[in-house]
Amino acid sequence: MNYWNQFLWVIFPYLMLATFVVGHIYRYNTDQIGWTAKSSEFLEKNNLKWGSILFHIGILMVFGGHVVGLLVPKSVVEGLGISEEMYHASAIYGGGLAGIITLIGIIILLFRRISDSRVIATSSFNDTLIAVLLLVEIGMGVYNTLGFNLFVGGFDYRETIAPWIRGLFILKPNPLLMKDVPLFFKLHTIFAFAIFGLWPFTRLVHVWSLPLEYIRRSYIVYRSRRTKKAY
Amino acid sequence: MKKKLSPLLKKLRFFQPSEKYSDGWSELSPKDREWESIVRQRWQHDKVVRTTHGVNCTGSCSWKVFVKNGIITWENQATDYPSTGPDMPEYEPRGCPRGASFSWYIYSPLRVKYPYIRGILLKFWREALKETNDPVEAWKSIIENPEKARAYKEARGKGGLVRVSWDEVRQIIAAQMIYTIKKYGPDRIAGFTPIPAMSMVSYASGSRFLSLVGAPMLSFYDWYADLPPASPQIWGEQTDVPESSDWYNAGYLMMWGSNVPLTRTPDAHFMTEVRYKGTKVVSVSPDYAESVKFADTWLAVNPGSDGALAQAMTHVILKEFYVDKETEYFYDYAKKYTDLPYLITLQKQGDKFVADRFLLASDLGLNLDNAEWKTVVFDQKSSKFVVPNGSIGHRWEGKGKWNLKMTDENGNPYDPKISLLGVEDDVVTIQLPYFDDQNRSLLNRSVPVKKILRDGKEIYVTTVFDVMLANYGIDRGLGGDYPTDYDDKKPYTPAWQEEFTGVKRSQVIQIAREFAQNAVDTKGRSMIIMGAGINHWFNADTIYRTILNLVLLTGSQGVNGGGWAHYVGQEKVRPAEGWQTVAFARDWSMPPRLQNATSYYYFGTDQWRYEELPMNELTSATVDKPRYQHSADYNALAARLGWLPSYPQFNRNSLQLLKDAKKAGASNNEEAIKYIVDQLKERRMEFAVEDPDNPVNFPRTLFVWRANLISSSGKGHDYFLKHFLGTSHGILGSDQTELRTSEVKWHEKAPEGKLDLFVNLEFRMTGNAIFSDIVLPAATWYEKHDISSTDMHPFVHPFNPAIAPPWEAKSDWDIFKSLAKTFSEMAEKYFTEPEKDVVAMPLLHDSPGEISQPFGKVKDWRKGEVDPIPGKTMPNLVIVERDYRKIYEKFISLGPLLKKNPVGAHGVAWSAEEQYEQLKQLLGTVKSGIAKGMPKLDSALNAIEAILTLSSATNGKMAIKAWEAEEKKTGLQLKDLAQDREAEHFNFKEITAQPREVIATPIFSGSNKGRRYSPFTTNIERLVPFRTLTGRQHFYVDHEIMLEFGEGLPVFKPVLPTHAFAKNEELPDSEGKKITLRYLTPHGKWNFHSMYGDGLLMLTLFRGGPNVWMNNEDAEEIGIKDNDWIEVYNRNGVVVARAVVSHRIPKGTTFMYHAQDRTINTPGSTITHLRGGTHNSPTRIHLKPTHVIGGYAQFSYGFNYYGPTGNQRDLKVIIRKLKEVSWLED
Repeated sequence: MNYWNQFLWVIFPYLMLATFVVGHIYRYNTDQIGWTAKSSEFLEKNNLKWGSILFHIGILMVFGGHVVGLLVPKSVVEGLGISEEMYHASAIYGGGLAGIITLIGIIILLFRRISDSRVIATSSFNDTLIAVLLLVEIGMGVYNTLGFNLFVGGFDYRETIAPWIRGLFILKPNPLLMKDVPLFFKLHTIFAFAIFGLWPFTRLVHVWSLPLEYIRRSYIVYRSRRTKKAY
Repeated sequence: MKKKLSPLLKKLRFFQPSEKYSDGWSELSPKDREWESIVRQRWQHDKVVRTTHGVNCTGSCSWKVFVKNGIITWENQATDYPSTGPDMPEYEPRGCPRGASFSWYIYSPLRVKYPYIRGILLKFWREALKETNDPVEAWKSIIENPEKARAYKEARGKGGLVRVSWDEVRQIIAAQMIYTIKKYGPDRIAGFTPIPAMSMVSYASGSRFLSLVGAPMLSFYDWYADLPPASPQIWGEQTDVPESSDWYNAGYLMMWGSNVPLTRTPDAHFMTEVRYKGTKVVSVSPDYAESVKFADTWLAVNPGSDGALAQAMTHVILKEFYVDKETEYFYDYAKKYTDLPYLITLQKQGDKFVADRFLLASDLGLNLDNAEWKTVVFDQKSSKFVVPNGSIGHRWEGKGKWNLKMTDENGNPYDPKISLLGVEDDVVTIQLPYFDDQNRSLLNRSVPVKKILRDGKEIYVTTVFDVMLANYGIDRGLGGDYPTDYDDKKPYTPAWQEEFTGVKRSQVIQIAREFAQNAVDTKGRSMIIMGAGINHWFNADTIYRTILNLVLLTGSQGVNGGGWAHYVGQEKVRPAEGWQTVAFARDWSMPPRLQNATSYYYFGTDQWRYEELPMNELTSATVDKPRYQHSADYNALAARLGWLPSYPQFNRNSLQLLKDAKKAGASNNEEAIKYIVDQLKERRMEFAVEDPDNPVNFPRTLFVWRANLISSSGKGHDYFLKHFLGTSHGILGSDQTELRTSEVKWHEKAPEGKLDLFVNLEFRMTGNAIFSDIVLPAATWYEKHDISSTDMHPFVHPFNPAIAPPWEAKSDWDIFKSLAKTFSEMAEKYFTEPEKDVVAMPLLHDSPGEISQPFGKVKDWRKGEVDPIPGKTMPNLVIVERDYRKIYEKFISLGPLLKKNPVGAHGVAWSAEEQYEQLKQLLGTVKSGIAKGMPKLDSALNAIEAILTLSSATNGKMAIKAWEAEEKKTGLQLKDLAQDREAEHFNFKEITAQPREVIATPIFSGSNKGRRYSPFTTNIERLVPFRTLTGRQHFYVDHEIMLEFGEGLPVFKPVLPTHAFAKNEELPDSEGKKITLRYLTPHGKWNFHSMYGDGLLMLTLFRGGPNVWMNNEDAEEIGIKDNDWIEVYNRNGVVVARAVVSHRIPKGTTFMYHAQDRTINTPGSTITHLRGGTHNSPTRIHLKPTHVIGGYAQFSYGFNYYGPTGNQRDLKVIIRKLKEVSWLED
């Protein structure tokens, strides 16, 4: 059990995070042309329209929720005057809503990926795999947020998972924090790190190519010829 | 070079501040521009080469091919064509998107990279060679062992090809050839390659080798059914057409069965552009073809009924422009340039008459040279019969006065009476043959006649024009069965044609009027572009003649912007004389054996045995019964009367024959020939065609190069497989039809696998190659030196190698050259002395042979009607010496006959002695051997220079000599047409630098001096006669067999009454719903002419595999949805494909576009359990007897010039949905 704990909550996360970082550097340096979201809008529009928009809106909200819930210490939140109850209410309703939106989005996207012949023909194994993993992950997230609270009773991850996560980032991992976390929260966490590990090798890399540059770029852009450089 | 920064580090420049200008509106980004190199390098290249490509396309476009890192990467249209002049669109640029994708094919997975042979044959060979230690003995031991022979023949088309070395494969081929020559004679070996114009040297390489050996070359133009027999019938000319830029000169343009934008893509712009000048464009097409989109009017005619449409238009033009009003321009033209005023005799049948042959000077008892070959008109000035100049009798009497000046023999002017009405002695009833879907009958109409009393007999004569008016039902109040007006449904009114064509009468009247009126207003600028859509039918020549009526009657032929424009398998070797010399080794031996392919395959593949169509269903109602019931018999007749060539020749080895003659006491050639004639006369020897299924008469060896014979042009595909190759086939019919031959011997059981060795030079492992015994890796067009030309434009284009032939590929020239070497070396052992060979030659067009059988009457020496006289009543017999040990030495040098014999074409000949000396200096000379001191011809480049030097189109000096020769024959002034270009002499480097326009030459019927090329302009403007009986353009043709089939005048003939299966034939299991449709195989959009359909781009553009187009209602009837798999079959075979359901296709007809190979995405058939079939599986040919006529004026044989067409259009198929698709993969 100890070994398992050590592996699942220390070794595995670091392994996945290392792959995440090194993988991205490797991919970016070697596969410039392949660094893309691989849009298939050209091949199928109707499902994509709904699936993509729902998924992306949802996932941004979910991301925000995870930042607040996991990275911001409970004390800071409470220091801002947000009580346990208020936090939970907003996490369940807000998080639940965001989760459901994302879930619907990913279901449509996955359905489209495995049912439309033209999309199938242009999908790589990784494209389908990552969609399946996201569906499982988001499904568990929604269950954890809504289902667990409804059927099992509350669970305050801010006492367990959140400090463990923060421990990972400050290089003081404490696997014991994860010992008594309910199964689906554990699975949700493990799948999350698995996705991080796979991330650099999938279309998810497009997340890093958000064209923030456009916000401050001038209308007319010149580049210098640098004649000394051989083309 | 600085080390490259990694993309990630570079990306970090994102954080580097940029320099901003103009209040922040612009900035200098810190990022570099390296990404641009991707775009830049995309179009960088190391080399550009001018060359061209052509699957069988003689679009002959000039292309730039780009090479990068030793790899051919892409091609681009060349843009530097010489200008067409002011007020004209340019030729630049030309080339179609299909052709632009050819570079893919160089590295295609289908590319043949090494020599291959079928494993089982190689095993036999190696064993036999080990055992016998003698290659010829080794071959003998294989082929004379029936089990072994059957084993490797049955394996054809079933894979098992293995790599073999060049040396070994050459040895096998040479051994087989030597064995065959010794055992059966050289005429059992043959070569097939089409369309020399598209790569002349490649064609010439094999044909030079085979001609030296004495093996026949097979024709292609007639076999492809691209030859329009109407052209030699009317003009004595194979085909001569305007270049495409001349479309822009038209005032009225019809596209009739020709899908110009699709099949003539680089030229189509002239058609679209001329519309902006106000020219009306009409399209006649059964389907909604691309040409229809460009047309102002679409005449949606029923497939094959075009003749009826044209007959009705002719009716309108004759009535309105000849009878109701005598249009001066038309009458002048008709009198000068057509046979309309010429007199024909009438034959009495009961109390009525039928049209017979032309009245001749001999009928009038005139004491003239060649009086049996001089036709007669009635002069209205002197009211006498006169014999106008220019007929074929004048052509060959050598007085140098053969021309179209309106004078008689003695130079007195005359003015012919076009109709005898007004000067007639009597009006008689004439019976004219009529054909429609139901029956064959007679039209009773009237003509004015004159009576000539001669030897106590009255000859009734009338003019061709009078018979024309009778035929077309133009009533002049003479009495008879005439239609009252256009709405009367009697032949050939606009109302009459509606039933056949489905086109409204008002439309027909309107278009005919417009066409003719435009010709009046523009002096003949009414043009008809005609194409394969109307040319691949059994009765295509009658369709053509009815349509050509329109351009002849309106004085449009021989006028820029007017006349016919037939572009089907376009065939124009511009440097013809030089090419012929090199290609058929005329510099070393004469004559070459040149065989019409249709007969060769008709008998070789035993399609004749499956004939279901008795001739009595096709002949004129004026004759009781046909000469023969079976078309094969007509071919046998044609062979023995010297009409058609016929190789394999006799049922005895032609080398042995001369040895036998010697043994029988013949001491010289004359006696030997006499011996041979006696052998034939006494029936101790037969023509091979009289017993084609006897093993001694089999074709034994076939070389195919530059062609996809088995898959793409092999009409009767499965007959090829069964009888020719002896492998698995899908024939569903049987040869036990009721029809039997009388002149050709019938064997109860048909032979299978006649061919012993099938050699293919190819660069794609498909169609033909997979059925071959030996496949030799050929260079593609981008890997060799060659030249090409076309009738679409006046340039001669070069092929230059962009890369050397990759892998073990070689150019055709190099392959045949090396084969000649191996063959000659091996021959040393087996031929100790030169052999003598007798060549049976048909009576040739443009030679004195064309006036050998007078009156157009058939005189059969076999029946004792005449004596067998070689070159007169039977084939000419020529004895040729063949030294098989010297083939190679001859191959690589230009022989002495070039100096001795004149060169020329189309009946014009002149000396090339001067050029021969010049070539010695240009090409260098051979240092030793029999060719010592002769010009070297050891490379393709040298062959090209020789061709360009020896041809009048590319050498000004030769052009002048040619015109001088023509002047001498005609007594006309002509050489001014080329004088300004006398000093020009094209060489290969010059035409590589820039395309150059050819020089005007008398071997073609028009000239391009200061104008766009249009055919027959030299005839019309300079009064050079047409090479026909009268010297004029013929409406009427009078050969006995033409009359037997009712084709004296242009007539309408319906599509053949064929069915999917013949009477009494067993149909395959009848599961599912079925429909019977007419089956057409026109040219498709995503394959042919310039690129194969199995290229990646072509497959991507349309459905990626075999497909068949159907009308939506037809499809619905049997529950077929678009893209369903279907099975298409009839008695000839089965093909499996996917349905393309479209309302674009007319109901009742299905299209399977031409040349869809069985190698990609083709499942098995449920009937035959074989893979697919091809578009040719449901086809077979029908041989039309009128095409075999010879020895009579323009009805005389020429290679690719006249001869039966391999027509395959008059067919029906059954279509059903394929329930389960079997890929035959387990």
